[in-house]
Amino acid sequence: MEERILYNLIQVAVVVAFAPLAEGVLNRLKEIVQSKRGPSIFQPYRDIWKLLHKDEIVSEESTWIFRAAPYVAFVAPIFVTLLIPVLTRYPLFLAFMGDMLGGGFVLALGGFFVALAAVDTANPYGPMGASRTRMVGFLAEPVFIIVFFTVSFVAGSTIPYIVQAVWVSPLANFFAPSHVLAMLAFFMLILAEDARLPVDSPSGHFELAMINKSKGLEYSGRGAAIMKWAGSMKLFVLLVIFLNVLVTPWGLAGTMAIGDVLLAIPLVLFKIFLFLVVLVIIESSLSKLRLFRITEFLSAAFVTSVVALTTSASGL
Amino acid sequence: MALIVLLLIPTAVAACCLAVSRRAAGILTVIGAALVLILATRLTGRVLGGGPRVALDGWLSSDPLSVLILLLVAFVGFVAALFSIGYVDRRHGAPVAAKDGYYPLYNLFLLSMLAVPILANIALVWISVALTTLASAFLVAYEDTPEALEAAWKYVVLTTLGAVIALLGVVFLYWGMKLAGGGPFTWAGLLAAAPKMPPTVLWMGFILVLVGFGTKAGLAPMHTWLPDAHSQAPASICALLSGVETTTALYAVLRLFPVLTNAGQTEAQAWFLVFGLVSTGAAALLLVYVRDFKRMFAFSTVEHMGIIMVAIGLGGQAHFGAAYQIAAHALVKSFCFFAAGAVVLTLGTQEIASVRGLIRSSPPAGMALLLGGLAIAGAPPFAVFMSEFAILKAGLAGGHYLAVGLLALFVVVAFCAMMRHVNRMVFGQAGPAPVVGDLPASCVVALVLSAIPVILFGVYLPSGLDRLFTAAAAVLGGAP
Amino acid sequence: MSDPVASYLMHLNAMAGGLFLLAAFAIVATRQMLGCLRWFVVQALLLAASATVIGIAVGSLHLAIVAVVTVVTKAMATPWLLRRTVRRELYSRREISQVLNIPTSLLVAAALALLAYAIVSPVAALETGAFVEINLSVGLAGLFLGAYTVAVRREAVPQLLGLLAMENGAFFAAVSIAPDLPFIAELTVAFDVPVTTLVIGLLTRRIHERVGGTSVGLLSALREK
Repeated sequence: MEERILYNLIQVAVVVAFAPLAEGVLNRLKEIVQSKRGPSIFQPYRDIWKLLHKDEIVSEESTWIFRAAPYVAFVAPIFVTLLIPVLTRYPLFLAFMGDMLGGGFVLALGGFFVALAAVDTANPYGPMGASRTRMVGFLAEPVFIIVFFTVSFVAGSTIPYIVQAVWVSPLANFFAPSHVLAMLAFFMLILAEDARLPVDSPSGHFELAMINKSKGLEYSGRGAAIMKWAGSMKLFVLLVIFLNVLVTPWGLAGTMAIGDVLLAIPLVLFKIFLFLVVLVIIESSLSKLRLFRITEFLSAAFVTSVVALTTSASGL
Repeated sequence: MALIVLLLIPTAVAACCLAVSRRAAGILTVIGAALVLILATRLTGRVLGGGPRVALDGWLSSDPLSVLILLLVAFVGFVAALFSIGYVDRRHGAPVAAKDGYYPLYNLFLLSMLAVPILANIALVWISVALTTLASAFLVAYEDTPEALEAAWKYVVLTTLGAVIALLGVVFLYWGMKLAGGGPFTWAGLLAAAPKMPPTVLWMGFILVLVGFGTKAGLAPMHTWLPDAHSQAPASICALLSGVETTTALYAVLRLFPVLTNAGQTEAQAWFLVFGLVSTGAAALLLVYVRDFKRMFAFSTVEHMGIIMVAIGLGGQAHFGAAYQIAAHALVKSFCFFAAGAVVLTLGTQEIASVRGLIRSSPPAGMALLLGGLAIAGAPPFAVFMSEFAILKAGLAGGHYLAVGLLALFVVVAFCAMMRHVNRMVFGQAGPAPVVGDLPASCVVALVLSAIPVILFGVYLPSGLDRLFTAAAAVLGGAP
Repeated sequence: MSDPVASYLMHLNAMAGGLFLLAAFAIVATRQMLGCLRWFVVQALLLAASATVIGIAVGSLHLAIVAVVTVVTKAMATPWLLRRTVRRELYSRREISQVLNIPTSLLVAAALALLAYAIVSPVAALETGAFVEINLSVGLAGLFLGAYTVAVRREAVPQLLGLLAMENGAFFAAVSIAPDLPFIAELTVAFDVPVTTLVIGLLTRRIHERVGGTSVGLLSALREK
């Protein structure tokens, strides 16, 4: 009982601590692929540290939403972390507090607040970026729902721990076409939700073309640090869900021993590292889609998820 | 064995045609086609006398229905080859290289059509039907105008689409046979295994083959390529396309009727009736608005394919009418296209509105067109009228009043529409289009040769043919 | 065949089927002709993979040879023939014009795939083993999607690729329900694909020479006016 609470807290600590590292590794890999040296993988930590020690400037026109949004965005992934299998295969203390749909909504709540905060400022680029993010989000919602339905339908439950067990035990289940298609649809979703290429360019500086980064333009000092941290945590959480539930549901601790749980940490990090390599390859070979082409991208994801659903529903 | 030689002759001629000049190729083709015709006639006699013949360990076989189709293909192939000699020389539509491709392709086309009725394995039948499309693609595009190319494109794409659908149908039928206990994958084998096949599989195979090969046969609503292809091709090729190619495609569908009735699936009759009536009705309507007389004859092909389908669906005595109709249509339609080709050669146009008073400006073409138009529309005492009458009579005797009524209505509408067009073309004041040429000798010979059955078989049906139709009808009714 | 191995094979085949269906969707959704051709080759390779897997499971050398023939004719001969006949069209990087835009096309394609599943379900129960169920539904869906591609594209080469994709679908169904068609039939049906490609390719080239483009969907001179 106590172990479960402890492991839950360890999970949260892992996510909070290692999320900037994941972002640092991603940026470094992208630079390496482009034959540059790239920043150190610990650079995001240094950035957050630097920002925390700077002054914060808040616009007089903004309301409490602007001040609260970074904290909401920071807390939302933490909430979701409590629900998903990060290190262990068996459900932890708060695991039944919410299921995957609940987790999805909590993440969306964070994004919603941040979009509102972007509108809250008087900066013209904020609302523009926020409206674009909402467009992408609204197109991605059906895909989210259907992918969750598919995996829940196959597993007979919406709790991530139980879903994850389905792919593990008869290993052949892993190759079922519904699984492959659901993985593909979810991957396209991650690209859309976390504003990776081809949906959005995370390293672009041109405000008119920004979709996601424009939401954080107005923040400075502590707010900026927390927003940055929250952004990398969102990516980390999405990756953990994707990898631990769908793609590689192995390497998680099966017993209650603390040694197993601690051993799972480097395994999870390793899996994330492998996925980041794949992500970098994809990001480096695609160019950013024009805005109206994003509907095509997301409708392709939607169709893939629908086919995954029907494939599993018809019992293949 | 005659069956093997039948297939070897066009192959050999095609190979030779590649090496010789066009004139020699034309003569070679005519000789080859004549030999094929002689062989086919002898084979018919033997089949009627002694039952189905097989060759090559059972890979080739022929029963009365297949021999009927074979005979028609051989005859039309021979006469069309004769017509080609004069026609191709006169029409300078194509560059020199393509002209040299005409006769080799012609022979390959003829080969593929000959193969359809005599190949025993159904999968090979599918392949030869698909090959008829591929062999005739460049023949349809021969005139090399943008319209001809458009027509050829639609032809190839739509019929190949149908062929792929039919492929899945053939695979389903094979699966059904396997589930029913196996056996040779031939028409006879399918007939025997049908009662034991799971009905869903049989139906799916049937529907897919009906839609797929129906596209190739020109059944509505999959007929949209037909008026284009059959009007833009050179007249000799049109005769082959309309007269016998659609019939060979329809043959594959017709073969399934006894399979389904043997298995007790009598709803198949309804499918045949509905598709047939829709085709006839659509063709009758479209015939009213047509503006090009080759398109007119093409729509008439759709109409007649529909009539044959209805005749099969009516069952019983109507099957004799169906066999009669198949033969009558092939012979008369090829003659019609020769007549149309004659008009094109003399006046240089395909528009109905430009042709007037043909009987005065070019008597041979005028008479041919009048005869062809009357015959194909179904005027007595020509063969088509007799076969349609037989079908209607048998339908009434069987009690299918609605189907017979609708069929009669559509046939009458088509008759009136075609006669109106032909009348204005042949009679009336001398037309706006001046005479640009006269008919080459080979064309005249071909016209006369093909006119003989048109005039003759309405009033007098030789006993051999009568026996052939009866035997073919028996096959359609389910005799092994 | 031991049970876990059989189960693995079944699921491998299922994965090939899922990816085959995905390739069919990709052919509907791709904008460029070269992309269409590449997805077609992927489809053909998945077809060969499925044939191999089923061949191993059923113990049929016949199917393995079918797989090899498929790879040779569809994955190698057909692209080569296309490159020989319509090279300029194929490598031109322009967008294919279509009647419906891509998201709508994808939705229609999804509906067609569902229709294929619905049609197949009463039939697939007739034979045991998941091979038939998957291959039949995916094959029929591939057939429908290929036919849809032919209907919706206005350019010659994508229409041809749609036809070839249809044939892939028909074959995909055939390898599971008719794995022992007589060899001569199997071979000739397989060679039908390159011959069709050759004829249609040459016709496309002729059209391009005569008409100046290959937007065959826009050719509409032959109509009753």
